[in-house]
Amino acid sequence: MNAPIIKCHNLSHSYSGKTALSNISFTCESGEPIGLVGPNGAGKSTLLNILCGFMRSVSGDVTLFGHKPGASALSGRVSALPQDAQLDPAFSIGEQLYFYARLQGLSTPQAKHETSRVLEAVALKDVLKEKPSALSHGMAKRAAIAQALIGKPKLILLDEPTAGLDPVNMRKIRTIITELSPVTTFIISSHDLAELGRLCQQILLLDKGIMSTMQLNASENNKPTRFLTLQMEPCSAPDVQAKFNNIAGISRVSNPQKNEFIIEYNPEIQPSMDLTIITCINDNNWQYRQLSQGKTLEEKLFFDGK
Amino acid sequence: MIPSFLKHTSLICQFELKRFFATRKGLLYMITFAFIWYLILFYPIRFSSDFLGQQQNTPEGNSFFQFIGFGSLLNWRIPELGVYWHFSLVIFPLLTVVTSADQTCSDRNRGTLRFVCLRVSRGSLFFGRFSGIMLTQAILILASLLSTVALIAFRDTTLLSVAFNSASAIFLSLVIALLPFTAMMAALSATVQSARQATSWAILIWTFLAWIISIFSAYLPALNSLKLLIPGYQISNLSQLAEWQTLQLAYIPLLQTIILLSIGRWIIHRQSL
Repeated sequence: MNAPIIKCHNLSHSYSGKTALSNISFTCESGEPIGLVGPNGAGKSTLLNILCGFMRSVSGDVTLFGHKPGASALSGRVSALPQDAQLDPAFSIGEQLYFYARLQGLSTPQAKHETSRVLEAVALKDVLKEKPSALSHGMAKRAAIAQALIGKPKLILLDEPTAGLDPVNMRKIRTIITELSPVTTFIISSHDLAELGRLCQQILLLDKGIMSTMQLNASENNKPTRFLTLQMEPCSAPDVQAKFNNIAGISRVSNPQKNEFIIEYNPEIQPSMDLTIITCINDNNWQYRQLSQGKTLEEKLFFDGK
Repeated sequence: MIPSFLKHTSLICQFELKRFFATRKGLLYMITFAFIWYLILFYPIRFSSDFLGQQQNTPEGNSFFQFIGFGSLLNWRIPELGVYWHFSLVIFPLLTVVTSADQTCSDRNRGTLRFVCLRVSRGSLFFGRFSGIMLTQAILILASLLSTVALIAFRDTTLLSVAFNSASAIFLSLVIALLPFTAMMAALSATVQSARQATSWAILIWTFLAWIISIFSAYLPALNSLKLLIPGYQISNLSQLAEWQTLQLAYIPLLQTIILLSIGRWIIHRQSL
C-alpha cells in the first residue's frame, strides 16, 4: 500500500459565516488520478486552494507529503492549475515558465530545457515567445497546465482543466494526464463526469461542504446486482422497458433520460446479460448507440438511490 | 534541491528588475523619468547653481536664502548637488509611490501570484519584490546622480572628487529615505485590490493620519511621536541638512521600514491568494 500523499482531518472552512467545507476528512494515495466532483459552490475550489496553500482553513489539519500546504519542502513536488489564474501579461510564456523552473531550483540550462519540454507536452512549442494576450482561451489553459508540469511534480492539482476547451484540446489534456499518471498523481476537479469516468478510479464527492469517497470499480463488483447502461437511437421507451423486463435476471429497467436505459440484473441468473440485451435489440430491429457496464458516473454520484 | 529563501528572494528581485528594464511598461516609465530629470538638470539645477555660486559668499545672498527657507542650499560645497538634493527629496518619494503601488495586488487579482506561491514562500515573494523595487530605485537614483556629476564636471573638472563624495552621501541618504515608502506600498499592495487603491491609501495615510495625530496631540502631546511612523516624516528636516549630515536622521526611515515590512509580511501571510 502506498503512503498517503494527502491527509485531511476535520478540515473546515467558511466565508463570512457560510460553510464551504464542513469537517472533511480523507486521505489520498499516490497512483491513479482522483476526481473531485460536486455541484457549483460545493467547496471544490476552496478545498484545492487550501491544499495548494493559497488560503488557510478555519480549522482542521492538512498535510501533503507530510508537510503543511505552502511549505517550501513542497516546491517542485506539488503543482497545480488554479482555476482562472492567468500568467503575467508583461512577459512571454517562455520567460515565465523559465522563471518558474528557476524558482523550483533548476539551473539555467535545465530551466531552458524544461520550458521547451513542458510546452512541447501541451503542443505549444510555437508560443514560447508569445505574450499571454496572444493566446486563445484553450492555448492559455494549456500554457497554465504547462507550468504545472515543470519539474515533473509528484502531485498535480487541476481545477477545471478542460473547462471551456474544444474537444480536440480536451483530448490533448486527457492524453497528458494518462501519460503522466504512472509517475504523477493527479487530483482533477471537474464537472465533466464523462471525462472523470475515463480517467479516474477514485472519486471524491463534495456536496454542501461534506465529502464522500467512491471507488469506481469496487462499488460495481461487490454488489449482488449489476447494472448496464444502454443508449438507444430514438425509440419507444415503454416498448423497450417492457421487452427488457421480460428477460430472465433483469430486476429493473429505468429510463432516466431520453433514449437512455439503466438495466439492473442479477449476474448469477444471467452472467452475460450484455449479449442477451444485444440479441434482444437485434431481434426487435432497434438501433443502439452504446452499451456499457455499470451506471454512468453521473447516475452513481448524483442519482443513486433517488 | 529546493533553493533557499535568499536564492528565491534574489530570483524574484531579478525578475522585478527585468519587469522594469525589459518590458514595455517599464521602458515607458524610464522614458518619462529620463525626460523629467532632463528638465530638472538643464533648467533648475544648471541655472540655480550659477546663481547660488554667486550668492554663496555674500551676506545678502545668505539672508535671502535663509528667508525663503532654502538656507541649507548654501551648505553644499557644490550647489548643483544641493539643488539636486532638494528636488530629489520631493520627486523620488512620489515616483516610488507610483512605481511600487503594484507590488502584488494586480498579480493577486489575476491569479499570477498562485503560480509563484506554488514554488516560493510568501515571505520570499514579498521581500523579493520589495528588493526588486528598491534596486530599481537605487539604479534610477544612481543614473540621475551620475548625470548631475557629469554636469558638474562639464562646468569644472576639479570638482569631480568632491562631487563623487557628496553624491555618495546623497545616494545613501536617498535610498534610505525611500525604504519606508516602498515598504508602505508593499504593505498596502498586499492589502488592497489595485495599484490605484494603494496610491489612494498612501495619500490618505500622509494627509489624514498626520492631521488626525496633530489634532489628538493637541490634547495629549505624547501622541505627536506617532508621526514618526508616517513615511517621509523626517523629510522636511532632512532637506535642511547637507552632504554626510543627511545620514543623521537615517534611523527614522530604517525604523519605519522595519515596522512596515513586518506589517506587510504579516498581511501577505494571512492573505488568501
